[in-house]
Parts: sequence; structure tokens; C-alpha cells
Amino acid sequence: MIEARELTKRYGDFTAVDRISFKVKKGEIFGFLGPNGAGKTTTVRMLSTLTSITEGEAYVNGYDVRREKVGVKKSIGVVQDVSNLYDELTVEENLRFLARLYEAPPENVSKLIKDFNLPARKKFGKLSSGYKRRASIVAALIHDPPVIFLDEPTIALDVKSARMVREMIRALNVAGRTIFLTTHNMVEAETLPHRIAIINRGKIVAMGGRSEIRRLLGSETRVRLKVEPLKTSLIHALEEYSPAFEEDALVLKVKDIDAFMDELAEIKGRLGFRIVHLSTELPSIEDVFLELTEEEGEERGCACGGCPI
Amino acid sequence: MKVWAIIVKELREYMLKPGSISWGLVFPLVFSLAFIARFGDIDHLIPGLLSISALFGTTSFVASSIIFERRLRTFERLLLAPVSYGEIILAKVLVGAIFGLLVSLVTLVLVSHFMAYSIWSLPLVLLYLILSNLAFSALGVYVSLAISNSINVMTWLNLIRLPMMFTSGAIASLTLFPRWFLVVGLITPMTYSVDGLRYGLLYYYDVIPPLESMLALVLMFLLFMLLSIRALKKLY
Repeated sequence: MIEARELTKRYGDFTAVDRISFKVKKGEIFGFLGPNGAGKTTTVRMLSTLTSITEGEAYVNGYDVRREKVGVKKSIGVVQDVSNLYDELTVEENLRFLARLYEAPPENVSKLIKDFNLPARKKFGKLSSGYKRRASIVAALIHDPPVIFLDEPTIALDVKSARMVREMIRALNVAGRTIFLTTHNMVEAETLPHRIAIINRGKIVAMGGRSEIRRLLGSETRVRLKVEPLKTSLIHALEEYSPAFEEDALVLKVKDIDAFMDELAEIKGRLGFRIVHLSTELPSIEDVFLELTEEEGEERGCACGGCPI
Repeated sequence: MKVWAIIVKELREYMLKPGSISWGLVFPLVFSLAFIARFGDIDHLIPGLLSISALFGTTSFVASSIIFERRLRTFERLLLAPVSYGEIILAKVLVGAIFGLLVSLVTLVLVSHFMAYSIWSLPLVLLYLILSNLAFSALGVYVSLAISNSINVMTWLNLIRLPMMFTSGAIASLTLFPRWFLVVGLITPMTYSVDGLRYGLLYYYDVIPPLESMLALVLMFLLFMLLSIRALKKLY
């Protein structure tokens, strides 16, 4: 449904997106993760025809993004990282205007307003940020496109509104739409996408299903351990497992769980403490994300000052 | 159809924005009133006042709309839709011209009360007003898109508009100035607008014959349209 081959965007000497390649299958939610300035938005802008492609090729719904822009535009709905409808128009007027631009049937407007429970007669500028985002998502559906691009859809939303938007995204996918979701929100990354690509400094550094991504940190298991009494000598004894505190528990990174359990039993006998809680979990997407983007995770500045990365 | 949809949307969204009202409506009317209050009989100034109204009405409206749309990124809504660059620019130019025409017609009604002579040819005046508004609107769209930082658009526009009021012969006849001054005037659409309107209103012209003024305004409208399309493509 979406394919990028060696996709590249340069602004002068600065390379915002550097020869990235990926495929998004029909009906898939594809998560595109990356820190600020990694190249997520630039990628969406290229795929949605808003920004020219410097090098490489891209196809959306079978249309060549460089040569068949009208076909691409009719195939996609784009929800940008800002809620950009017209403040002085009501929600219904905004949707009717967009329906005319896309030559969509006028009945789509009333159906969408009803389906998504939007305040039709309220001016867009008077809506809360949650409803603004909801209306912006609905605006992208006016021509019933098979592909939806969502660029940071829950950015700057409160918890309740963010959850509402995530439920909308799930519903759109269940209805058969292919979704390209950029985010640096780990709740979204853990719950929404079928597959994930992590982009950093313009390059894709990891790609795969959620469990594949988690396994990228090797067979490492996170062990949560709560003991009483907690002694400094125990922390020293567990030093090779990079102990860290999370709330009142020790979190350890363990490669061989059996060997660790044996060692823990030996240390317990030696130091004398009681195990109150012990649980294991695979690394989260967030762990992998931080590991892969950590060293270079600081925001990039672009020399031109105007790049929408 | 799509062009008309954009025009209606623009009028609803931007007609009452402060930039459109202050520079686009209040300034030209107050400017005209000031001349009426100072001179009383202002026949020789009316072509200039009408042209100033058209210039400020059109350019202020389109600049206000484009500044908002670039900053709030609603412009990208248009670019994401299956609408060509040409249709977007045409819609922007036409809506600016409609707003400018309304402002210049209000000015015409106002100033015509203070004319010693009656208007020589109202149809010709209306034709020159339409052509002037189209050319000025296209100029405004071009400037609004060519300036990379949208915050600076109004400043740049004033840098162009204010000198044009003098180089066009709107305030004082170009025959009173040295020849090099006329050359500067010839590169801006306002000079043709003022002389064309002067012919329609008063049946004489200063330096440019009426047909040449008409052709120049049409050519400048087309030139700024093409430049605007190029600027839009460069911007996105």
C-alpha cells in the first residue's frame, strides 16, 4: 500500500531523511517512531506530496508520489501534527468545504458528523483541543481514503483526549484502512502498530513487528526484584546486571535467567534477605527506542532554520 | 467549482480579520476622507484615491489570508487536496480582487459626491477597476508567497505599496517629475491603473494612453499569476 525505496530529503547540505526503504501492507498500522528531528514529519510530507523528494522513489496505493500526485492525493487522508481547519467556519462548514475540494458526496459530511459525534454547528476555533484533533481526523476521512497518515496525532492532548484519538485510530484500522502513524509516544507505540520502524538522524535503525523490535536488545529480560531489608551489599553483588531503581524495586537486565536465579539464591544465602516480589518481563518498545536513539537522541538543529523535520 | 469553494471559504474566514479591515478598508477610506476634508473639490485626485483603495484592499486581504494560512498551516489543507497550484492561486487572486473591488466601489460612491464634474464613462471606470484589482491582487499574492518568513509579509508589502502611491501619479501628476521618475512608475501596475481610471473618470490621461494601460494591467495580472504559481511551488 505504501512503499519507499531509498527515499531521501536534503535541505542544502543537511540530510533530513537518508535513503530509507520500507513497505506498509494493506490494512496495517505502521508505527514510525523517532525522537524530535529524526525525520518522521519530513517522511510523511514527502509521501503525502507536500515536500519534494530529493532522491529515491515512493508509491502510495500504487501511485508514484513524484509523478502521479493527484492519484496519491485522492488515496490519502493526512492528519498533521497541528489541528489545521478554519477557525471561523463551523465544523460542518469545514467538512463541506473539504468535500467540495475532494469532490466527495455531500452526504459523507452528515454521516461523519453523526458517526464521530462532532458538534456540527460550533465554530472550529471554539472547540477544545481534543475535539479539534477529532475534527481534524474526521476531515481526513471526507473522501473515504484507503490510506491515512497520522503525524503525532496525540501530541499536546490530555490523557482523556489522547485515549479518544487512539480509539479512533483503532476503529479506522478495523474499518480496513491502512495507517501510517508517526509518534514518539510510547503508549501508542506499544499498543497500536502491527509493525514499527524506528528512525534516528534520518535513517531507519530498526524495523519489524512489536515482539521483533523488543528482541532487538538480545534475549535480555527485565527482572523486578523487591527485597527486605535492602542492603548496599546486595546492589554491589548484582552490579553486573546494571541495577536501577524503579519506584521501590530493583530493576535488573538479565541475559541468562536460570544462571541469575542460581546466583540470586546463593547471594540470598550469603547476605540474608527476604524476597518480597520477583517478576520478569521482556524489554519494552521504549527500552529499545531509548537504546537505539539514546546516544544521538538530542534534538538536531538544521542550518537552514526552516526545515519542518 | 473548487475555485469558487475556496473563494467562499476565504471570504467567510478572512474578511473580518484585523489585517483586512485596518489596511484594506479603514486606511483607504480615511485616506480619501482626509483629501476630501483638505481640498473639497478633488476631481483630479479621484483616480489616485480609487487606485489606492484597490491596491490596499486587495493586497491587505490576500496578505492577511496567506499569512494566516501559512502560519496555521491551513494552506497545507489546500495543497493536500486534489487541487492544482493554478486553481489555488486563481482562487486567492480572485477573492482578493473581489474584496478590493468592494472597497474601491465604496470609495467611488464616497468620492463621487465631491466631484465637480460627472463621471465620463462609468463602464470604463468599472472595467479599469476590475483590471486594477486583478493586477494588484496577483501582486499581493506573489509578495505574500515570495517572502520566506510570513511574519514579514506586511512590512514588505508596505515597502512596495507606499512608494507606489507616489511613483504612479496617484497623488501628483507624473508630468511634474523628472523622466527617471516616470521609468520607476512604469514598472508598477498602479501607474497604469491611475491613468486608465483618469481616462474613464475625467476623459484625459497623464502619460499612458488608455488602451496601453488596459493591456499593461492584463499583462501584469498574468505575470504576477505565473510568478505566484512559481513562488508557491518553491515554497512547498
